[in-house]
Amino acid sequence: LNAAVRRAPRQHVRFLPAPAGGDGGATGLVARSPRRVLRTGPDVVSVAVRGPRFRRLKIGAGHRLDTKASGVFVLGIGHGNKLLTDLYNCHLTKVYTVGGLFGKATDDFSDTGKLVEKTTFDHITREKLERILAVIQGTNHKALLMHSNIDMKTQEAYELAVKGLIRPMGKSPPIITAIRCLQFALPEFQLEIHCLHETQQYLRKIVHEIGLELKSSAVCIQVRRIRDGVFTLDDALLRTQWNLQSIQNAIWDCQLKVKTELEKTLG
Amino acid sequence: EAAAMWGALRGARRRPPALRRGLAKAAGPGSVRHRREAEEAAPVFQYAGKAAKRKDRVFVWGFCYSGALGVPSFVKPDVGWKKPRRIQPTPYRLETEEKISSAACGYGFTLLSSKTTDITKVWGMGLNKDSQLGFQRSRRDRTKGYEYVLEPSPIPLPLEKPQQTRVLQVSCGRAHSLILTDSEGVFTMGNNSYGQCGRNVVEDETYSESHLIHQLKEFDSRVVQVVCGQDHSLFRTKKGAVYACGWGADGQTGLGHYDITSVPTKLNGDIAGVNIIQVSSYGDCCLAVSDEGDVFGWGNSEYLQLASVTETTQVNVPRHLPFKIGKIKEAACGGTGNIVLTEEGNVFVWGYGILGKGPNLIETAVPEMIPPSLFGWSDFNPDIRVAHVRCGLGHFAALTNRGELFVWGKNLRGCLGTGRMEDHYFPWRV
Repeated sequence: LNAAVRRAPRQHVRFLPAPAGGDGGATGLVARSPRRVLRTGPDVVSVAVRGPRFRRLKIGAGHRLDTKASGVFVLGIGHGNKLLTDLYNCHLTKVYTVGGLFGKATDDFSDTGKLVEKTTFDHITREKLERILAVIQGTNHKALLMHSNIDMKTQEAYELAVKGLIRPMGKSPPIITAIRCLQFALPEFQLEIHCLHETQQYLRKIVHEIGLELKSSAVCIQVRRIRDGVFTLDDALLRTQWNLQSIQNAIWDCQLKVKTELEKTLG
Repeated sequence: EAAAMWGALRGARRRPPALRRGLAKAAGPGSVRHRREAEEAAPVFQYAGKAAKRKDRVFVWGFCYSGALGVPSFVKPDVGWKKPRRIQPTPYRLETEEKISSAACGYGFTLLSSKTTDITKVWGMGLNKDSQLGFQRSRRDRTKGYEYVLEPSPIPLPLEKPQQTRVLQVSCGRAHSLILTDSEGVFTMGNNSYGQCGRNVVEDETYSESHLIHQLKEFDSRVVQVVCGQDHSLFRTKKGAVYACGWGADGQTGLGHYDITSVPTKLNGDIAGVNIIQVSSYGDCCLAVSDEGDVFGWGNSEYLQLASVTETTQVNVPRHLPFKIGKIKEAACGGTGNIVLTEEGNVFVWGYGILGKGPNLIETAVPEMIPPSLFGWSDFNPDIRVAHVRCGLGHFAALTNRGELFVWGKNLRGCLGTGRMEDHYFPWRV
């Protein structure tokens, strides 16, 4: 980064107080000529004089992703940290693909934990699973409306509800805005979950509770975030792409998206 | 064998503590294999029963004082220090002996019926001052009857073949009830001051503690649906004809006059010759849906229910309502507003009151659609459709194909069942 061509140094114009005139009160300001900068050539400034441009980089992380999960993880560099705070305040939903396995129950709800119990699961059908998912979605929808702190009796609340834009804009417990079953092949199943203010452990707990509701038990075998607000899997950089050029391109591509989203939500 | 299994489990858990060097942990193949073996050996529990079928349940909510909810402890608490509950704001499970196939709410009383062939087919609870629940013999005095019935009590019907006839449907009005059977016609009970029970009005008749249950059999074909309005009754037959009797001052009998009718008479007007597949009424307005998806209305129009065809506030002949909203599948009348469901699963409301499109829409003569996104429809769930719609006095209910119930309207004494006492201006999930 330091080897890249850098901008020309800015011209500084300093206003210095002029030597005081006869009449006491007003002191005028006079522009002095720009500060002279040591130059060794027409447009090149010696590095030895000014030093490396970047000695430290401020990098901030977006929403947390724990060690057993994978997926999109948003980082902000420099000015991006401030944008990260703004994005956090937008309270956009995150989308996860959660894989589950019927028949086992462990203490930390994932398949690497200590086994607590094994149960049968032959009675489970896709229809039963979908019914449970519908109940979960319904109760969470109600929680969504209640935590959004909008007065339900106003016309604006009605219009937002029609567009589906009601969501809590402050602190709230984890809420699932949408959940559906992508794949179902006993004993495994895969869900797509759209949620707000959640943690990955909460998602694993949801899988465990789905197992309990179906009179069996389930553990979570995979949690993968496929979307975090405006950032999707397509924008994400792979391990092989962690170099300056790709990072710069990625930042450049996302700039517009982030700007429009911030303007739309925060005004 | 069980002991060995448990031993293996315990053995897998308690390994001798390895020499720790800083944070390094020795995760050799030994521990993983032990764990897998232990998992294989663990017992498998079964929680689901063999024939785990879902039981059909009845839930009640609303105003409790009349006993219409069927839970005696709401009105007369078991413990002395508890006060009687005025409102049950959320759905409460009502235990019933049989599987209930039809239920109807009247003004302070409820009827439940089952399609069983047992002798007891209909239960009633709530207000019984006009014998709308039949004669409920009091246990204290065998000659008197109960005025308030606090729990679902059997209603004895004078059936010819009690172990073969099945009760298909029940309906309740302000002070009268109708019970539809599959082979013995319609039974009516309760107040008959306007002929709503289908029998001649007797001057100064006392309706309380009356044993009289009237049977109606004279229709052009078998009756397949009975509907009670406030003080009138509508009967729909298999051939698609509609009969009416009772109070007619608002034209709700649809017979071309504003007098009372005490014998069920066939309706004409715009529905003559039309095959009607559904009839609905609640207060003094009536709607009928034909097999081709047209809707007809008659009765009270003070709240713009029929204002799309006429300016008069009482319509005593069925009129076709020319709405261009698609083929209509189901219609329901409320006290002041009406609601229809189309074949595509869209819901339209019109009339007066809290119609469900926010606080700004208070009255309209032309049906307005409620956006399907309010019922959970989205790009994520495009299959959600509304399957049934119903109306109450000032509120509406819609049931989706996923089995979710949405209510909206005026929350009179907790009738919405959402747990909150405030009115809802757009559909809210119960």
